[in-house]
Amino acid sequence: MLETAKATFQLSTEGLAEVKKELARYETKESAIIPSLYVAQKENKGFITTAVIHHLGQVMDIPVSKINEVFKFYTMFNQVPVGKHHVQVCTNISCALEGGRELTNHICHELGVKLGEVTADGRFSVSRVECLGSCGTAPMMQVNDKYYESLTPESAMNILRGMK
Amino acid sequence: METKLLTEFYHLDEFRFLDGYKKHGGYVNLAKALKMQPQAIIDEVKNSGLRGRGGAGFSTGMKWSFLPKNNEPRYLVCNADEGEPGTFKDRLMMERAPHQLIEGMIISAFAVGSKKSYIYVRGEYYYPVEVLEQAVQEAYKAGLLGKNILGSGFDHDMDVYRGAGAYICGEETGLISSLEGQKGQPKLKPPFPAVKGYLQKPTIVNNVETLAAVKYIIRDGAAAYKKFGTEKSPGTKLFSLSGNVRKPGNYEVNLGYSLNDLINNEGGGMKPGRKLKAVIPGGSSAPVLTAEEAMKATLDYECLAQMGTMLGSGAVIVIDDSQCMVDMLGVLMHFYHHESCGQCTPCREGTGWLNKIVHSILEGKGRLQDIDLLVKVADNMKGRTICALSDAAALPVLSFVTKFRDEFEFYVREGRSKVRGSFYAQMHH
Amino acid sequence: MPKCTINGKEVEVKEGQTIMEAFYKTEEPIAHYCYHPGLSVAGVCRLCICDIEGNPRPQIACNTVVTEGMKVTNKSEKIKDGVKWVLDFHLINHPLDCPICDQAGECGLQEQYMEFGKYDPEMAEHKVKKHKVVDLGPTVVLDSERCVLCSRCVRFTDEVSKTSELGIFNRGDRSEIGTVEGKKLDNKYSLNTVDICPVGALTSKDFRFRQRVWYLKDSETVCNGCSTGCNVKVYFNKEGFFRVKPVYNEKVNGHWMCDEGRDIYKFLNKDNRFTTGIVRQNGVQTEMAPGALAKELHKEIKAKKDQVAVVLTGQYTVEEYEAMVSSMVKEFGISKIYHWVNNKESFDSFDGLLLRGDKNPNTKGLLQVLEKHQIKGVWGDLEAGLKNKSIKTLIVAGPENRGVFDNLETHVKLFAQAEHLVWLGAAKVEALLNLNSKVSIVPLKTFVEKEGTFVNAMGMEQKFKRATTVIHEALTLTETAILMSGKNLTVPMAQIEKPAFLENKRRQDQVMLENRKKNEFVFKRGSL
Repeated sequence: MLETAKATFQLSTEGLAEVKKELARYETKESAIIPSLYVAQKENKGFITTAVIHHLGQVMDIPVSKINEVFKFYTMFNQVPVGKHHVQVCTNISCALEGGRELTNHICHELGVKLGEVTADGRFSVSRVECLGSCGTAPMMQVNDKYYESLTPESAMNILRGMK
Repeated sequence: METKLLTEFYHLDEFRFLDGYKKHGGYVNLAKALKMQPQAIIDEVKNSGLRGRGGAGFSTGMKWSFLPKNNEPRYLVCNADEGEPGTFKDRLMMERAPHQLIEGMIISAFAVGSKKSYIYVRGEYYYPVEVLEQAVQEAYKAGLLGKNILGSGFDHDMDVYRGAGAYICGEETGLISSLEGQKGQPKLKPPFPAVKGYLQKPTIVNNVETLAAVKYIIRDGAAAYKKFGTEKSPGTKLFSLSGNVRKPGNYEVNLGYSLNDLINNEGGGMKPGRKLKAVIPGGSSAPVLTAEEAMKATLDYECLAQMGTMLGSGAVIVIDDSQCMVDMLGVLMHFYHHESCGQCTPCREGTGWLNKIVHSILEGKGRLQDIDLLVKVADNMKGRTICALSDAAALPVLSFVTKFRDEFEFYVREGRSKVRGSFYAQMHH
Repeated sequence: MPKCTINGKEVEVKEGQTIMEAFYKTEEPIAHYCYHPGLSVAGVCRLCICDIEGNPRPQIACNTVVTEGMKVTNKSEKIKDGVKWVLDFHLINHPLDCPICDQAGECGLQEQYMEFGKYDPEMAEHKVKKHKVVDLGPTVVLDSERCVLCSRCVRFTDEVSKTSELGIFNRGDRSEIGTVEGKKLDNKYSLNTVDICPVGALTSKDFRFRQRVWYLKDSETVCNGCSTGCNVKVYFNKEGFFRVKPVYNEKVNGHWMCDEGRDIYKFLNKDNRFTTGIVRQNGVQTEMAPGALAKELHKEIKAKKDQVAVVLTGQYTVEEYEAMVSSMVKEFGISKIYHWVNNKESFDSFDGLLLRGDKNPNTKGLLQVLEKHQIKGVWGDLEAGLKNKSIKTLIVAGPENRGVFDNLETHVKLFAQAEHLVWLGAAKVEALLNLNSKVSIVPLKTFVEKEGTFVNAMGMEQKFKRATTVIHEALTLTETAILMSGKNLTVPMAQIEKPAFLENKRRQDQVMLENRKKNEFVFKRGSL
């Protein structure tokens, strides 16, 4: 067994209550997998581990394989650690036409990381993402749950530098 | 010129809240609809000629009429998993007018006899979800949702469900799988969702814009609605204009509006010194049009179909002469490879293969036969899978390679772009 | 009952049946990987495309219901070309490592390639790398690169074993079958996933690298692992038996069998068997020809018939019981005949699928024969008789499938209270060779070496044929009964001189049953 499986994870009391609420909210308990993964991810420093899957499997009484399938299918569940500010830059067509890829490279260069990496101080991680529905205000980035639109390389870095 | 039917009050901040929305005729049509016979609403929608605004363009009234005629519980699901690259209209509609959608949904739910509906919103739309959830709460408090809505005896519950990042969940059966708590993999058809959908119960899945439009059909009647747009493509539609234009954005125009006008009037034309090269008229899955074709196109289902492409979700992506088409196809192939759910073999393996071939050309390692191989692979992915993602990946390949073959050949021969340096070499994967 | 035409052949199917089922019925060939008649329809491999007259687009046979008058073909050029491409999509990322793949020779990809191969590969790019030699659990190893993601194994664990250990993780061409770390593929039916895997992705730890399948013969028989009586195929060659796979029988086991049953072959091989007659007395062991030994026993039984008792396990055929019981009753008037019930506590249990607590293939058959001869032996009487020495000679037809008799040694000790223990059996029981009292061992043939009838727990009579012979000198119970009653066999036993089977060579890396049960044979797991 790898370290990840040995590492333990336990939802907080509030987190557990939230998961229980989601379990009761829908017609099937499986529908609560996505919301519960969100809850767990938030409590596990922004990413999901095998320990998280096992804990949820136990709490939700759903086979771990099914939870893992869901976890690995959706891109918003992180499989590796992310920075405190997870910078997601769109590089799909509308943004690519307006410099989204140049923006990604610029941010990576300025922060001194490659895509998928976390800065040494743990504050930032950068990834490229597919269309986020912000094509009319391209290029854009999403930092955690917030959109920043109509960016230039400079304005993007100013925004990031302003983050605590 | 824009024709603001749905977006009339979008500039008003108060339109986002129940009070403001009511000030501008909100929920009046719900009251009206609840006094009608459900079948009469379905007929009205059918007669209006409203077609699905999410991409497929299927007749909404027809879709509703596929529901079994019995008392089996059924679901209405709003597809707000807006993910087709280039599309950002649903986001606008949810952010600016959540109650417009909710009203349209309650009317539609009443028409099809559904007591429960879900709005499935893509996971990245944190803010729209927040706005919608607030609006749903407002509606519950005002007795517009829940038991005995406006004293009509009709009960309806609504919930907002957040996805978690998967393009394929925009496909209606993929969306249903996701809502059921599984991977968002499309389901085999038959059975169709109208017969066996969410939890094996009859389910109607409609796009945000489609459901919002229902309210206006009830307000003005099918005949009045049909005055908008063309005979076969009635109504107005929101077009998401993006890419290399001066004024990108969402514009609501009559169906049948000239693409040239959209780009040059609403969009403010090309950037200084740039010429139009190509337009993708209906989201990234739609075959590309050359500048020449685009200038002749009108934005309706028929004209675009005749030109071998489609209206899709109404995402008009404008590409100017500074762009390399091989590079752009590379962007698209990366996307479809990334998003293929992996279920059906031709799509799972084909999207990866196409992506590799395009990128080997972009790296300067292409062989001349690769261009024809792209076509062959794409041809054999079409119509071979459960859902249309395979086709969506194949169609851009076929149109890009056919219409801009010289750029592909140049790239293979010279190992570099005819237009500008490829971006591929600089990207880190 | 709609009628349709499949490649020109008219066929009638049941209402609601699919084109695939119509193909099965007409026995027209149709390529498919994901469809399995025992599982739900997935419709993902896309190989079973066919043309339906009047339908512009090819449809998949597995998910299209037959309607009256439907005309279906998969022989048109369009379809053949389509299948060729779909097969190519299956192969572009496949490692093509047939020379080292266990599935070679019975692989779906190989089979279809013979007919639909492109024979002109156009894939020039690097293949997708995936995990190899993934340890899924105590019985199965996964090679993700060989996997075609048909999802049969996942559906099996979801729908049949209902254990849901498996899933398909990630999407697109990064998709991989797998388990979640910390929850292994470990259920009593896990090896069915290997059977239904159309390619070499899932291999059995027990069988992998042991034999090329084209060096194996097979023969249908009935599993003797428990009272369900699953229909199975045993695979063997001159080196011995190598594996057991289920054979479809709607009324008994459907498409499946349990993992326990797959081990029965191990007791058929020479190294787990008594190969010759043995007499042990006062610590001195002499070997004897089995026939001669059985014949010699006649005198003793005849002389001491009032002090002779017989113990029977439910492991023999109806015919053998009849021969044994009637000869004891009629020839000698012996009625002290007892039924040895193993694992009493769980004897009547049933897991709802296939596994039964009664680990004998023919308990029902034995009881029927005993009833017919009005034998009502009570086990307590036997124990008492042994204790008070009223039973001096005890004839035991012991278990053939030694693995399911957990308390074998205790029983051997009990039986050894008799002055002379006559042990009839195939399986080598070490405890017998450590006894101080007199013991005679007559090696018997196993169920694959004879024909006969088993009556399963549902009361179904199942006849089976001989597959092969492992130990020529060994006797059947019937032959033993005949010889013990003083008669001669019509066919003399010593007829064949050369043994057909070689010594079973046990290899270092071979997973033996004992290890497998303890799960000591662990593969280095690729990280998922």
